[in-house]
Formats: sequence, C-alpha cells, structure tokens
Amino acid sequence: MSFVLSLLIALPLFATPLVYALFKVNKRLGIYGSLAISAVVLLIAGYVFWQVYATPPAPGHYLFQEKYSWVSFSYFGLDYLVGTDGLSSPLLFVSAFLTVLSIFGSRKLIDHHEAEYYSLIFLFEGAIMGVFTTLNLILFYIFWEVVLIPMFFFIGVWGGPRRKYAALKFIIFTFTGSTIMLLGFLYFYMGMPTPSFDIPTIQALLQTHQVPVALEYLPLVASFIGFAVKLPLVPFHSWLPDAHVEAPSPISVLLAGVLLKMGGYGFLRISIGLFPGASTQYAWIFLVLGLFSMFYGAVAAILQRDLKKMIAFTSINHMGFVLFGAYATLISGNLLGIQGAIFQMFTHALAVGCLFMLTGYVQHQAGTREIPLLKGLGKNMPRTAAVLLLASAAAMGLPPFSSFLAEFMVISAGISASAYTAISILVPVLTAGYFLWMIKRTVLSPAEGDHGVHDMGWSDVVGFAAYLVPLVVFIVASYVILNPALPVAEFLKGLA
Amino acid sequence: MLVLVLAAAMLLLLMFTLFPTPVQWAGSLIAPDQIGGIFALVTVGVTLAVAVASIDFQKGPNNPVYYSLLAFTALGMVLLAYSQDLLMLFVSWELMSLPTYVLAGFDKKTRSNEASVKYAIIGAMSSAVILYAISLAYGLTGSTVISQVVSGFVSHPSALAGVATLLFVAGFGFKMSIVPFHMWIPDAYEGAPTTISTLLAAATKKAGFIAAIRVLLAITTIYAVTQSPFFTMANVFAVLALLTMTLGNVAALTQKSMTRLLAYSSIAQAGYILIGFVAFSNAPGSAAASLGLTGAIFHVINHAVMKGVAFLAAALVILQLKRADLKAYDGLAKRMPLTAFTLAVAFLGLAGVPPLSGFWSKLLLVLSVANGPFGWLALAAILNSAFSMGYYGWLIKRMYMDEPESAEKVKEPFLFVLVFAVMVGLIIGIGLFPQPVINFASSAANAFIR
Repeated sequence: MSFVLSLLIALPLFATPLVYALFKVNKRLGIYGSLAISAVVLLIAGYVFWQVYATPPAPGHYLFQEKYSWVSFSYFGLDYLVGTDGLSSPLLFVSAFLTVLSIFGSRKLIDHHEAEYYSLIFLFEGAIMGVFTTLNLILFYIFWEVVLIPMFFFIGVWGGPRRKYAALKFIIFTFTGSTIMLLGFLYFYMGMPTPSFDIPTIQALLQTHQVPVALEYLPLVASFIGFAVKLPLVPFHSWLPDAHVEAPSPISVLLAGVLLKMGGYGFLRISIGLFPGASTQYAWIFLVLGLFSMFYGAVAAILQRDLKKMIAFTSINHMGFVLFGAYATLISGNLLGIQGAIFQMFTHALAVGCLFMLTGYVQHQAGTREIPLLKGLGKNMPRTAAVLLLASAAAMGLPPFSSFLAEFMVISAGISASAYTAISILVPVLTAGYFLWMIKRTVLSPAEGDHGVHDMGWSDVVGFAAYLVPLVVFIVASYVILNPALPVAEFLKGLA
Repeated sequence: MLVLVLAAAMLLLLMFTLFPTPVQWAGSLIAPDQIGGIFALVTVGVTLAVAVASIDFQKGPNNPVYYSLLAFTALGMVLLAYSQDLLMLFVSWELMSLPTYVLAGFDKKTRSNEASVKYAIIGAMSSAVILYAISLAYGLTGSTVISQVVSGFVSHPSALAGVATLLFVAGFGFKMSIVPFHMWIPDAYEGAPTTISTLLAAATKKAGFIAAIRVLLAITTIYAVTQSPFFTMANVFAVLALLTMTLGNVAALTQKSMTRLLAYSSIAQAGYILIGFVAFSNAPGSAAASLGLTGAIFHVINHAVMKGVAFLAAALVILQLKRADLKAYDGLAKRMPLTAFTLAVAFLGLAGVPPLSGFWSKLLLVLSVANGPFGWLALAAILNSAFSMGYYGWLIKRMYMDEPESAEKVKEPFLFVLVFAVMVGLIIGIGLFPQPVINFASSAANAFIR
C-alpha cells in the first residue's frame, strides 16, 4: 500500500470536477456525493494515521514513501516525493475530518453557486493533503499556493459584506509571504554542495555536516516570513481577522482548523527540520515572538464585540503556542515542547472549528454575532448555549478536553527553557478570562423579551458533538498522537 | 486559407525543430538551429492564433490586405529567428516591422492612426539605431556574420565596440519593450486593433528577444567604454531588468483600460526574461547560465501563450461590448464565463502561480540568480511577482465577485473559444507536465552555449 498517500492527494483532486458534475445533475446528489467522497478520504487518512501509530517510522524516516522523477534536466532535478510521519499524520487526519464536518455544516449555510463551492472544497482538500505529505520543497510550494486559490474564492464569493476586500487582502498577504519563502528555498538549493530539493536528502547532508550554517540564515528568514504569515504570527496577522469575519462559517472552520496548521507544520518540518543550526542560534527570537503572539491574541480577543472576531484572535493566541513549544524544545532539549506543539495543532483544529461553526449557527438563527446583543442565549437557545459552553471549555484548555494536555506540555517545555518564559502560564488564565466573560454576557445574562429564535435541531447537536468527542477521546488516547510524535521530536532535536 | 498555410508552416517548423538537420549551413545567412526553431515556432503559433481570431474580429472590405500583411510579418519573424548574419537580421527585422506599422493603423480611427504613426516613428528610429550599430560592427571586425562580430568584439574590446553593443541593446530594446525604450508600447497596444496588439505583444516582441540572444549574449564585457570594472553586460542587463519589471508592474496597477494594463504587464514580463540574460552574461558556461537561458527561452514560450490569450480575450470583450475600460470586466464571469475563465487562468499564470506554465519558467529564471552576486535581482523579481498579484488578483476579483452592469449574457463566438481552449490547455498542460517543453528549451540553450 505504498500508493496510499498519492491516493489521498489524488482522490479529492479528481473529485473536484466530479462533484461539479454531480451538482449539475441534482443538488441532493451533489451534497450526498460530496459527503461520501470526503468520508472515503477520511477513511484513508484514518488508515494512514493508525499505521503511523502502529509502526512509527524511526527518527528521520518516513512511512508510505513514494518517489518518482517529475522534472529534470541539466542542473535541475525535481522529484514527486511523498511520505508521512508523526508530525504530518495527525494533521492529515484532522484535515480530512474537518472537511467532512465542514461539508456537513455547509448544507444549510451555503445557498448559491453550490456546485462551485463544493468542488472547490475538494480542490482545497487535495492541495492540503499535498502540503502535509510532500517531502520535496518545490512540490511543497506548489501545493501551498494551490491552497490559496480556492480560499480566495471562498472568502470573495460566499463571504460577508466586506468579502471582496478581505479576499484580496488574504491573497496578497499570503502570496507575498510564500513567494519570499520560495526564494529562500532557491537560494538554499543553489548554495548546497550537492543541490537537492528533497527533504530527506537534505537532512542526510545535515546529519553529516555537509551544509554550512552560513547558508541557513537567509532561507530561515525567508521561510519564517512565509510561515509567520500563515500561522499567523503578530505582526503578520492582520489578514486573519478580516478573512475570518468575512468567510462563511464552514470555511472559517477550514481556515482556522487546516490552513493555519500549514504555518505550524512549516515551522517544524522546514524551519527547524532544514535549517536547524540557524534555528537553534536564534531560537530565543522565535520563542519571544511566539510568546508575544500568545499574549497579543488573548488581549486583542478581550476587546472584540464580534463573537467571530473574538474566536479569530483566539486562533492567533493558540497558534503562538505551536511556535513557542517548538522552539522551547530547541533551547531546553525538553521534547515535550515539540510533542505538545503537534498535539496543540490537532486539538486547536477541533476546538476552534467547533466554535466557528457555532458562530455560523448563532448568526443564522439569532441574526447577529455581536456579543452584547446575544443576551439570554441560555434561555432562548439552550442547546446552542450548551454547545457554546463545552466548546469554550475546550478552547480554554479545561480538562477533560485534550487541549488541556497540549497546553500543559507546551508550557512545561517553556518553563524548562527559562524561568522568565514561565510567564506563559498566564496565557491560559487570560484565555479563560475572556471566554468566561463572553459566556457571562451571552449565556448567563437574562433574556430581553422573546425574539422568536429557533434553537438548533438534534441533528446539528450530533454534528457539533463530532468536534468535541474526539477532544475527550484523545486525552485518554493521547499516546496515539504523542508516541509517533516522539521520534519526530528526537530527530528535530538531534539535528540542532 | 492563411490559417491553413500557417498551420502547415507550424507543423513543418515543429518537425524541423524537434529533429534538427545535421547539415552545416556555414557561411550562409540563415541556419536551422534549435533555438531559432523555437522562436519561429512561437511566432508562427501566435500569428496563427491571431489569424483565427481575426476571422471574427476583423470583418471588412480590406480583408485580403490584412491577412497578407499578417503573412509578411510572420515570414519576417521566421527569417529573423534563423538569421546568422547581421544583414539578414536587419532585412528580416524590417520585413517583420513594416507590415505591423500598417496593421496598427488598420482601423482608420484617430486613435488607431495615432498609434500607428507613433509606432512607425519609434520603429524607424530603432531600425536606424540597429543599422548604425551594424555599420560600426562591420567597420570594427570586417564582417557581418554574427559569430565573427561577437568574437571580434570579445577579443579586441574597444570603446567603439562598447558603443556598438549598447546601440544594439537600445535598438532591440524598443521591440523587447525594455524600460527606458518602452514609451510607445501602451499607446500602440491600446490604439491598434486588439488582435494586432496580440501580435505585437506575443510575437514581434519575441523576435526582438531572439535577435538580442544571438547578438548580445556572448558579449560579456563592455569594459572598454568607461574603463570601469562595474560596466559589464551582466550589470547593464541587471539594471535594465530591475527597471523594466518594477516600472511595468507599478504602472500596470494604475491603469484604467485593459489593453494598457496588459501592455504594462507585458513590459514587466520582459524584465523577468532579462534575468536569464543576466545569469548568462555573468558567468557564461556555468550552471546558472544554462538555467538562465533555459528559463528565458521557456518564459518566452509561456509568455507568448499567456499574454497572447489574455490579449485575445480582451479583443473579444472589445468586439462584443465595444469598450476596453476595466468597468466592462465587472462581473464578466456571469456574462462571458469562458472568456472570464481564460483571463483568470492567464492572469494566474502571468503572476507565476503554480502549477501553471508561467510558474516553471519564472522558477528557473529566479533560480539562476538566486545565490550569487545578483541575489538582489532574484529578490526584486519575487517581490515584483507578489506585487503583480495586486492587479491580477484585483482583476479576478472584479470578474468573479463584482456585480455586472447588466446581467445579459454575451455571445462567445466559436473560433475565439477554440483559440482560448487550445491556449488555456497549453498553460495548464505545460504547468502539469513541463518536462517536454523544458527539455526542448534546455537542449536549445545548451546547443547555443556550445
């Protein structure tokens, strides 16, 4: 089954025209077809996820590796190279999972141009699978860019009132970031003693110290810009609140749950995995930047009146943990940091995905997302309020949700890096603060008259449970993610 | 009829280029080498697309004149691509240019005539400059054979040889639309019938590039002009490339009419192609030189397809909606879905978004200068690409997200759609499977280097 990763990429890509055709035949057929295809992709991703747990690849090795020559001529060689390990397999799984849920959630919220919408979701999914599995830098860049195009249209065509501005801002920010990243790769390639774009080949050179550290500085800066825009790291984040607020809720789920993970994945796989020498030298800068993002996101979230914008800033706060944890490991050698960062990406995808989907329902039913206007949510929409409570608890990092474990691991690595970074312990406090305040104003405040709003149906409750149940399951079964993440953390630490 | 002839010519050229004849044509005016074959193929291909599109676009009593002028231009471009001698080069240069002066003014409207006159005057001036450079070259080396002139310039550098080289840069630069020789481009492209703008942007411009590759690439130093070690061809090209792409992109952002916007974007793309010249002149024979020349040839092919189809799509909008301003493009996806899709693909390709064809050639061009003394140029090219997304993305936004002024569907004629389909197929096809075309460009580049 070594073609399984190619299947994971190719199936959604082939589904893109197929789903379009299905919709042209019949709308119901299209939606059920989309759900079925995304479920099959989820099954394959689940198989990959399980296999990586069952037989974790040794440090520096990859499972399900495939390699074919794609483009080569004198002085230039480019392979189609895919593989997975404990870093990418949880992300593959959660991406496929969120795609199913976001298609499920789109049924009621998307009411025009459905054929284009659902087929673009599959283009997005295929490209995301490519980003997380490819081990070739140019191929990585290609998939990375392909992700942008469906997202540009999602925001611009199906978004809110300021959608066009948000879409254009999104594409210019991320395109600029990624082209600079590409330049870093090209510079690195031309400077290597035996040029290659394949990550395993470069890592083999790194292990035998054939790549001078001097070569790593510029690519590190360039890739930092590309990944920082995606993560997003303050001060590269200004596209994110706009994009989130304007995007339709199912797309916000994919944006926060999947697209931001590309940044975190890039930091681990490429910034640390390919430029370890330079990364270690300047690890302090990254650590402080991550910490700053954590605080900034939390403080900015307190100030928001729009529920969706508040959750968007939560993402900035939570993704700061990823960077913080990753570089805390480089400084302290405490492997919990990288393990926690990988776990944090997984849990954040589910918790924030749930919250974004919820805002979509709240707006659909109550007609507003302004927190001060959502009074009496507990009385008028009890089921919605219950889900909001649970999802907020998951985002705050309360046990029994696995986000607790992830944040705990990251912070403990942060403490072992330095006594000063122990200040990061305050971040969950701030997060809990603004979530509780939001809940006080919406769920717990008395209702002002009956607006005749409808609560969500039980079928929707099941949909939301699908986000939250895995969070509880994976705090018990955390070893499924953490065990394969251990060799990755060891390997990345060993390179530095 | 012309369409058939051009198609046949294209097939013949393709055979010729894919299977180069072993015959040595030493001492002759033209020789069938691979690099010439590629340029001939590209220019004839564009002329073919223009001719097909013109069947709908150019209806009138003067049809025979129009198509025969088109054929003359095509002949001139093919001869130019294969020229091995400066005199042959000049004659075919004129054979290519003269019909286009008439074609640019073919509409007999004030704007069109103005464009034609402006283009003719600038064109005549560039011809004069080239002729002067040729006379200097003959005086210095006693030959008009390009290879002998070049080796003469390199082995006996002199101030006059330097002046002649710079005159060649200026003369070819007018056609290649290099800043500061670009002033005529936006006016001419806007005023001329849009099919002819297609020809100018996608075909005759490329002819300027083959002339420059043949004459200028092997001359590495023009040191003798100022006695300054900084005055190398690589530095000259680098400065020109930087100016060309930056000015082209910045100016494109401020345009109000589609043809002018495409004209400035076409100027910017010429700047990217020049990067390959920089890599080549900086260290001929190195890996970077091979990458750079391959990238330049590849980008010439891709740019001809992408810019050609973008101009033809603009021509269709002008034909059907009778307007060229950008307001006409609001909500175009609802009125002319195929045209809008074609433009979107062409724009993404021009911006260098993978996996479209423009990405690969830009990748090679940037790679050739990424690590070395011209790293700043690579950074400039990358930032320019990102900047160009500002107007390409904005146009896609207007076509797909803004509301049209009227919801009425507009007819998209079959022949136009056919041309769009073939060229969009090329943009996506080369993007997914670049290997054959890269091989083609790379072997031509390596043969030229040897």
